[in-house]
Amino acid sequence: MSTMTYLQAISDGLREEMRADDRVFLMGEDIGVFGGAFKVTDGFIDEFGADRVMDTPLAESAIIGTAIGAGVVGLRPVCEMQFSDFISCGFDQLVNVAGKTHYRFGLNVPITVRLPSGGGFGGGPFHSQNPEAWFMHAPGLKVVAPSTAEDAKGLLIGAIRDPNPVLFFEHKHLYRRVKGEVPGGTYTTPFRARVALEGDDLAVIAYGAMVHTALEAAEDLDGASVRVLDLRSLVPLDEEAILDSVRRCSKVVVLDEANATCAAGAQVAALIAERGFEDLDGPVVRVSTPDVPIPFSPPLEQAVLPSVDRVREACRELLAY
Amino acid sequence: MSSSRTETLVDVVMPQMGVSVSEGTLVEWKKGVGDHVERDEVICAISTDKIDTDVESPASGTVVEILVGVDETVDVGTVMARIGTEGAAPAPPSEPEPVAAAPSAPPDAGNGDRPRRYSPVVQRIAAEHGIDLSRVRGTGRGGRVRKQDVLALVQDGADGDEPPLHIESPYRPEPSPAAGTLSRIRRQIGEHMKRSLDTAATCTTWIEADMSRVEEARTRLGITALPIVARCTIDALREFPSLNAWLEGDAYTVHDAVHLGIAVSLGEDGLIVPVVHDAQDLAPEGLAKRIRELARRARARELTPDDVRGGTFTITNPGQYGSIMATPVINQPQVAILDLEAIVKRAVVVDDAIAIRPMTILGLSWDHRALDGAVAAQFLAAIKRRVESWS
Repeated sequence: MSTMTYLQAISDGLREEMRADDRVFLMGEDIGVFGGAFKVTDGFIDEFGADRVMDTPLAESAIIGTAIGAGVVGLRPVCEMQFSDFISCGFDQLVNVAGKTHYRFGLNVPITVRLPSGGGFGGGPFHSQNPEAWFMHAPGLKVVAPSTAEDAKGLLIGAIRDPNPVLFFEHKHLYRRVKGEVPGGTYTTPFRARVALEGDDLAVIAYGAMVHTALEAAEDLDGASVRVLDLRSLVPLDEEAILDSVRRCSKVVVLDEANATCAAGAQVAALIAERGFEDLDGPVVRVSTPDVPIPFSPPLEQAVLPSVDRVREACRELLAY
Repeated sequence: MSSSRTETLVDVVMPQMGVSVSEGTLVEWKKGVGDHVERDEVICAISTDKIDTDVESPASGTVVEILVGVDETVDVGTVMARIGTEGAAPAPPSEPEPVAAAPSAPPDAGNGDRPRRYSPVVQRIAAEHGIDLSRVRGTGRGGRVRKQDVLALVQDGADGDEPPLHIESPYRPEPSPAAGTLSRIRRQIGEHMKRSLDTAATCTTWIEADMSRVEEARTRLGITALPIVARCTIDALREFPSLNAWLEGDAYTVHDAVHLGIAVSLGEDGLIVPVVHDAQDLAPEGLAKRIRELARRARARELTPDDVRGGTFTITNPGQYGSIMATPVINQPQVAILDLEAIVKRAVVVDDAIAIRPMTILGLSWDHRALDGAVAAQFLAAIKRRVESWS
């Protein structure tokens, strides 16, 4: 065990799994000599060489397409999208090729795509998005999004070992803000939800950076007993954990940082309406980013992203209902 | 001047309440001759076995004739009353108009100026515990009844005289005599019990069983011991089919399927024995679920007559109060009933050493007309063997 930041835990997971399995190699823009835009792979080229830490052209479609071929012949590629926003250039390879190769040809595509995502730091409309839901909608892809350092390492190693294409959303705002105890060596974290805080009166369901927003909001709710469920995995979605929270609390706030329409939280709300109806004691309340691009202006950005105050207010309203 | 009678008469008949029901008893008339009745308004209450049901009027009009009296039992399809539909003029001109005589206000769910609405979870909890929501004080916004309001009521009730949900024996002592007559369900239970004792040559045999493995399994599965013992009993019945049988006079019918009756207490209102049909097809988890569901429906008064028919063997389980032995009464026309009482830790001799084991005493009341003591003892031993080797 050692204390690491969320970013160090991701680096550590990559490094340990590369040491443990020589089929694992990395591809991405500026990840080799420069060590990555966020320095996740800093020093990797010295230990593993340019053959396993490959600098690529600015061509996301080529990166993912190459990874698919390498995965099909038995390697374990990990691709880095410099920002998750850029993945739209690799969309076809991911959605139409990676996601459907097993279905059409019976071939495994054991690739991992790392996606630095999320806003809150003045990155503007092209460097701040949360595009998880695009891929939740596409069959054949798994989608995970850790909120803690320990889960970041365990989910990343789990993603690399998974025989399917896995999109690993790492939240940029957590990179250096979140720290925690992280086990050494290699371990995997199951693609299931985790109860981040026990409570009975109301459940906040979130993932990624919003788990921390929820925990902060829960601190000051006039003594109400608030449960926080960290989804960790969006595909597969831990439906039983969600429904169990509904059974216990009967009131639910679904929180996500993505734009509201058809976000992961919309799927959670739909699940609760379908299968948790009998346990509800109030409307399912959603807190999310309105359907607008993320503004450059820091005050405007703070106004659109779900804040601790907004979450707390939503909880108070629902508790009083 | 006499109005022309264009009256059409519509019959109110004893309804078919489940495929196996052939007759019903009139409990109460809600309308008298001359009363106006709306279509779908309750006109009378009937009882089939222990299930009470309201009968709704098939048409709007005036009750012109009542043909079946209170407490009278008639076949399904029998005409109980006749309704004269609109346009009829049943009353002679000299009498006051009867149609306008009953303008009683319709029952109102809420007492405020607009109807109260309840969330799904509140309605479910209320139904499970028989709570009248219109009498619950709400602490939510605008006096809304919240989950915690109705849960608080359930909690209060549990601390008081309302027993928790449980399965219990039919053979609790008669309630202390209160002034007045017995309720109908008590009278029916009494008749059934007395008829059984008058009919069967009832004997009771007991065997002790070590419940260590059952206790371990039920903790793991998150269920009670009852469904596991029920599963062992079903298997033992397959080994000794002569106990899975009916004896009616000289007619002795051995059943292939096990339709397992489970005695469910209705608290003050007596008890009822809903039946888990084709119990041989269910694992303990499935049995637990079915028993829970039947008990819930029994207490919510939602059982249909078919739910209580066709049992081939019965289990009663009053052990939650700590009693350890009983002599249950056979549920006619079955030939035996198993009694599961409390599981109690006791010092027992195991391999010539003294060990602490959760023990229970399984009791079997059986009909000496249908079988002999040796079979009863072998059957109990077969249950014991299965219980003690459960895995």
